[in-house]
Amino acid sequence: MLTYLARRLFVMVPTLILISVLVFVIIQLPPGDFLSTYLNELQSQGEAVDPAKIEFLKQQYGLDQPIYIQYAEWAWGLLHGDLGFSFEYNLPVSDVVGDRLWLSMVLNFSTVIFIYIVSFPIGIYSATRQYSWGDYGFTLLGFLGLAMPNFLFALILLYYANVIFGTSIGGLMDPEFINQGWSFAKMMSVAEHLWAPVVVIGTSGTASMIRRLRANLLDELSKQYVVTAHAKGLSPTKVLFKYPLRMALNPFIADIGNILPQVVSGSVLVSVVMSLPTTGPMLLTALQSQDMYLAGSFLMFLALLTVVGMFISDVLLAWLDPRIRLQGGISK
Amino acid sequence: MTDILRIKDLKVEFVLPHMRVKAVENVSFRIGAQETVALVGESGSGKSTISQAIMGLLPKSAQITKGSIIFADPKTPGTRVDLAMLDRSGTEMRAIRGGRISMIFQEPMSSLSPLHTIGDQICEAVRLHRKVGRAEANELAIEMLTLIGFPQPKRSLKTYPFELSGGLRQRAMIAMAMVCRPALLVADEPTTALDVTIQAQILRLIKEVQSELQMSVLLITHDLGVVANMADRMVVVYDGRVVESGRTDDVFINPGHAYTQSLLAAVPHFNMGPDERLRPLREIKPKTGSLLAEERPADPVRDSQEIPPSLALHPAMASEPVLAVRHLSKSFTTRKGNWLKSEESLIPAVDDVSLTVNRGECVGLVGESGCGKTTLSKLIMRAMEPDDGSILFRGESGQMTELTGLDEDQLNPYRKRIQFVFQDPFGSLNPRMTVQDIIAEPMIIHGVGDTAYRKKMVLELMDLVGLDPRFLSRYPHSFSGGQRQRIGIARALSLKPDLLIFDEPTSALDVSVQAQILNLLKDLQRDLNLTYLFISHNLAVVDYIADRIAVMCAGRIVESAPREQLFKNPVHPYTQALLNAVPFADLDHLLDFDKIVDGKASDPSRWPAPFTINATSAPKMMQFAEDHFVRAERADFTEIAI
Repeated sequence: MLTYLARRLFVMVPTLILISVLVFVIIQLPPGDFLSTYLNELQSQGEAVDPAKIEFLKQQYGLDQPIYIQYAEWAWGLLHGDLGFSFEYNLPVSDVVGDRLWLSMVLNFSTVIFIYIVSFPIGIYSATRQYSWGDYGFTLLGFLGLAMPNFLFALILLYYANVIFGTSIGGLMDPEFINQGWSFAKMMSVAEHLWAPVVVIGTSGTASMIRRLRANLLDELSKQYVVTAHAKGLSPTKVLFKYPLRMALNPFIADIGNILPQVVSGSVLVSVVMSLPTTGPMLLTALQSQDMYLAGSFLMFLALLTVVGMFISDVLLAWLDPRIRLQGGISK
Repeated sequence: MTDILRIKDLKVEFVLPHMRVKAVENVSFRIGAQETVALVGESGSGKSTISQAIMGLLPKSAQITKGSIIFADPKTPGTRVDLAMLDRSGTEMRAIRGGRISMIFQEPMSSLSPLHTIGDQICEAVRLHRKVGRAEANELAIEMLTLIGFPQPKRSLKTYPFELSGGLRQRAMIAMAMVCRPALLVADEPTTALDVTIQAQILRLIKEVQSELQMSVLLITHDLGVVANMADRMVVVYDGRVVESGRTDDVFINPGHAYTQSLLAAVPHFNMGPDERLRPLREIKPKTGSLLAEERPADPVRDSQEIPPSLALHPAMASEPVLAVRHLSKSFTTRKGNWLKSEESLIPAVDDVSLTVNRGECVGLVGESGCGKTTLSKLIMRAMEPDDGSILFRGESGQMTELTGLDEDQLNPYRKRIQFVFQDPFGSLNPRMTVQDIIAEPMIIHGVGDTAYRKKMVLELMDLVGLDPRFLSRYPHSFSGGQRQRIGIARALSLKPDLLIFDEPTSALDVSVQAQILNLLKDLQRDLNLTYLFISHNLAVVDYIADRIAVMCAGRIVESAPREQLFKNPVHPYTQALLNAVPFADLDHLLDFDKIVDGKASDPSRWPAPFTINATSAPKMMQFAEDHFVRAERADFTEIAI
């Protein structure tokens, strides 16, 4: 198990290096760079630009260097916690991002937990009472959740919260806390605001998770070992929790790595609509204006989430399933 | 009242939204104390439904609508419980289920949870029904595993089911069922999924444990061989009803009901005369048409009903080999470790196999699962590349041609001459093609004939395998297993091949259907002068159909001989062990449980002196008698044989 962990951690290093190269290349792929976009913008507004100034800026930002040197400097900086410099904001990336990174992590983790907490009981209920009214009801709700675009749901929620309760549920905290230091009151405010985006972003994830848990569990429930457990005289609830549910868990644990980036990218539109101070909207503008270091940092953050998520799910799988733990190294 | 269980007038119905389906009706029988009762029937007869009704494990849609299942627990004399009236998941039923009546299932692979250790699953059963602590439960589990004959019972508690062999898994399953010392054991096809030698061990084990724990056994099986060897009384069910019940010897010697009679007549057994035929419930009369018969001058007779099968073979053709396999070997590589350091090990699947199949004969290849018989057939078909050795095949030119080393294009004409019939009649037919398309497909692939020819050929083939040509536009799902297997045979025959390879063609079928297919194959061989390579694990089936038999174990052929010779005078210890382990549906040939040795028979390094295969000795095939070969170091095994 220990060697497995060590090996698994070791594999993450080349993966991350490869991803960083890919991220950098992809950001560079569109023609031009931040300066040329900036230039075009200025020219279209009819302002004259001094070529010498452009040249100076290019040198300043290192944009005249060959691409691999740019990459090496960026990657070297990343290793030291230096995320680079945002052209658009004229600030170091870490200052621009600020709390956003943490807030989006809080938002996304809450969403994942929300999805798991809500979908598990419902999925189990639906599977054990297949074709009952409850099952049909949840199925209907689930399909509604899947079919409705998140941002539409967000708009509806915003409207009714305002009309009925007279409150604004936009943002992640009350306006007076924005740009303030962290305090207990600010944390409480965040907690108060968190539920709305969590519900909005989590709905579709919950719906699909319910469907999958139901299908998995239904498969497992008809397996022979479940009959064996019943034949032992175990009570139906104990049978359910000890045997088929544990077998049905595997796909979910394997999914942790996928669900994180999914939730993050799914939340971009919602964040725009609900004006959440998360990374999503900022990534969007950074990509539009070719603010390469800012965009690169965000993409690396997403990649890190995915890789770490995969690591967590692999470790959990090996811990939970002896077949993976004991047979993992053997392959034909 | 000494009866442990009395079932009276049991009726079980499946209640579906728009109809009720009767599964079992008017079933009555009893099980006495320490008695073994066999519930015999073919698939769909309702025998499993009866066992589920006893255990309270019926599916949700099934209801007991009539009758009673009275259980009188010998531990508490005088009490009687009607299991049919109890709430299926109530506490009372759950106390009996697993505690007083336990069950073992067919599939040892899937009936244990792969995520929990053997110890966990056995101790769970103990602690459910007895007030014992964890340590005491462990003790009891170890005690039971010892009784069951587990090697290293203490260590096995911590193993997972997938780390054990099939036989050991079934033993663990039995230990789990026995650990609460039940009054009645319900065994639902307990050995069907196991190899014969393992089956014999498990049957012996059930008998031993039964007398040790003084319990009754309800044995549910389709295998009359198992019934003859195990049961005191038997109950024959057909279509949800009991058609006959009585003492096993009475029923075997003097079957009263027509169904029992035909069931007994359909089972192949030893010492059948050369012209004796199995009698299936429904016989198929193959009709040969003009297309299949032409180009076969070697076959002088078409209507062979009057002519004995031995004459149908042209003497000149009979000795000519169609296929000659010489020293064929194939190994698989397994890789253990990670991509930094890995150990590769070679596992020989087929090792130095030589085999000849002559025109017009049927060669049987017998062996247990994992012995390499399927790999061998794949090598002959060139679905896999052999590592070493040669495959000679007589093509259209009449010359023996080396098949190894030919590329796909060169191989194509030979592919036409060798055809294959698969084991699983459900998986081997494309569910989206009609029967017409399925049978015509090989001809289309090889560009044989025009549309009119193909159409005529398909019709003729349907006639040949006894299927109504009106079924041609149907899809495979509307046919039964036996009918599908016949479609598979028709497809294989459509190219008029020189050699047909059958890989366990009847092991997925019921006995009566098996008899039907085996008879059909015999008739076809006689009428069309076909050549068969027949692979099976079932010695009785091979005995019925094959002229010559090769016994395979651990990738090697250990003995090959003409049919009568092999059965009368088996020389190799593995062949002997195999023959000793087959339960025959014949009260005069009961299993000798003393002769059954645990798990040593199929290990080549444990065979006695001249036969041992290990690192230091690699025996070759030696001639023992005319056409009788044995793999041994020296030829002095004559005295051992007798």
